[in-house]
Amino acid sequence: MRASVVSSSRKIMHMLGSELEKLVTLPLIWLTLIVAFLANMVLAAAFTSAGLQGASGAGAQSILNTGLASMGYLQAGFIILGILAACSEYENGQIRTTLTAMPWRGYQLSMKYVALAILTVPAALIIAASGVFYSFMMMKDAAAAIEMDKMIEALAGAAGYLTITTLISAAIGALLRRTTPALALLIGYYFIVSPLSEPYLPRIFNYFPDIAGHYMYMKPASDDINALTPMQGTGIAGIWAIIFMAGAIAAYRRRDA
Amino acid sequence: MKAFKAELSKLFSLPYIWLALLLGAFAPALFAALDNFAEKKDIIAGISTRLSEVGYIGLAFGVQGVIIVGVLAVSSEYVRESNENGGGQQLTTSLSVVPSRLSFMLAKGGAVTIISILLCVVAIFTTLTVTRLILGEYAPTFDWSKLLGVACYWVLTALLASGLTFITKSGVIPLTVLMINSSVVSLSVVLSKVTKLAYYLPDRAGIDMFMSMSDSVHTPLAGGFVMAAWAAVFFMIAAIVFHRRDVAA
Repeated sequence: MRASVVSSSRKIMHMLGSELEKLVTLPLIWLTLIVAFLANMVLAAAFTSAGLQGASGAGAQSILNTGLASMGYLQAGFIILGILAACSEYENGQIRTTLTAMPWRGYQLSMKYVALAILTVPAALIIAASGVFYSFMMMKDAAAAIEMDKMIEALAGAAGYLTITTLISAAIGALLRRTTPALALLIGYYFIVSPLSEPYLPRIFNYFPDIAGHYMYMKPASDDINALTPMQGTGIAGIWAIIFMAGAIAAYRRRDA
Repeated sequence: MKAFKAELSKLFSLPYIWLALLLGAFAPALFAALDNFAEKKDIIAGISTRLSEVGYIGLAFGVQGVIIVGVLAVSSEYVRESNENGGGQQLTTSLSVVPSRLSFMLAKGGAVTIISILLCVVAIFTTLTVTRLILGEYAPTFDWSKLLGVACYWVLTALLASGLTFITKSGVIPLTVLMINSSVVSLSVVLSKVTKLAYYLPDRAGIDMFMSMSDSVHTPLAGGFVMAAWAAVFFMIAAIVFHRRDVAA
C-alpha cells in the first residue's frame, strides 16, 4: 500500500507538468502569442517612424521609450492569454476531467498559475525585446549609443509587468468563467477606465496594478514627485496579482464546478 | 418579423447582457462627469477651449456598452455547449428555425440596431442630466444634429462589431480591437501620426459626426458616410462568409 502513495512534492510536480502540457497544447495560446508578436512589430514600426519624424537627435532613453511604447497595446495580448488559459477549462467541461484527475483544487489552480508564469515570462521577454530591437536598428543613427544594463533592466521590467498582467487576467477569468465578460471587464479597465481617470486622481492611482506596473519598465519624468521606483512598482503590482489569485483560489475551492 | 422578435428576446436573455446594458447606460455619464469636473473652472472663467466637446466626450468613450452587445449577439450563437450536453451550438437551432441565412443576419442586425438606439437614448439622457447638474447655467446647449450623430455612431459601431464577429466566430478579437480603438489610447490615433489614411478608419471618421476636434478632417456628413461604408462592407463580407460556411465549421 505504501508504495502506491505518491509523495506530495512529486504530486505537485506532476500537477505542474500536466498544467504546462495543457497550456502548451492549447492552439489558441500559440495563436495569441503569434498575433501579439506580429501586432507588436507593426506597432513598433509605427512608433519608430513617428519617433523618427519627430525629435531628431534623440537620446538613448528615447530608443527604449519608442521600443516600449507599444507595451500599452501589447498588454491586450497578454490579457487575452491569461483569460484563455483560465476559461478554456470551462468551455468543454474540461474542468470535470481536470478535477477527477487532480482533486486538490487549491494546489491544482496554484500550479496552473505557476505553469502560466513559466510560459509567459520567456514569451513576454521575446516579444518586448523584438520591439526594442527593431527601434534600435532603425534609430541607431539618430540616437546615441544605448547602455546595455539599462536596456536589460527595462526589458526585465516589461516582461515582469506582462507576466503580472497575465496572472491578474487569469485570476479574473477563473472568477468569471466566461471569456467575453472577463475580456470586456479587463480591457475596459486597462484601456478605458484607467487612462481616463488617471489625470483626476493622481495620488491614489500609483497604487493601482497597471499604473504601479508601468514603473517597472518606464522611466518616470524627472519632475514627477509621486514616482515610484521600479522595485516599489513591482511590489505593488505583485501584491495585486497575489490578491486576485488568492481570491480566485478561494472561490474555486468553494464553488460547484 | 417573428425572427426579429426572437432575436430581441435572445439578446435580452443572454448571460452578462446586463453588464453591457449597465455600461452603455451609465458609463458615458460617468466619463462626462469626470471631464466636467476637470473643465468646470476653465468653463466658468470662459477660457475653456473644449466647451464644444463637453458631454460628447463621454458619449464617444461610452460606446463600449453597444460594442459588447454587438459582439455578444453573434458570439453567443457560436459558443459550444460542453460535450456532456451534446456539444451543440445555438446557431444550429437558430438556423433550423430561420433557414434563410440572410434573413437571420438581418434579424440579428435589426435587433442589435434597436437595442443600440434605445441604449443611446438612455445614455444621452443620463449624460445631459449629469452635465446640467454639474455645470448648471454654464452647460452648453446640445443641438439635435450632433445628438443624431452620436446615435449613428453608436449604431454603426454595434453593427461593425456584429459584422466582425460573424467573420471571426469568436468575440475575442472584435471585442479587443474595437474597445481599444474607442478609448483614449486608440490605435487609429497612433496610425494617424504615420499616415493620413488613418483618418478614414471607421472610428476616426465616425467621431467627426459629433466631435469637432482640432484635427478632424471630415464634415459630420462625410464622416458618417465613411463609417457607414465600413459597416456596410464588413456586413457584406460577413454575409458572403456566413452564407457559404458550413454551420458546423
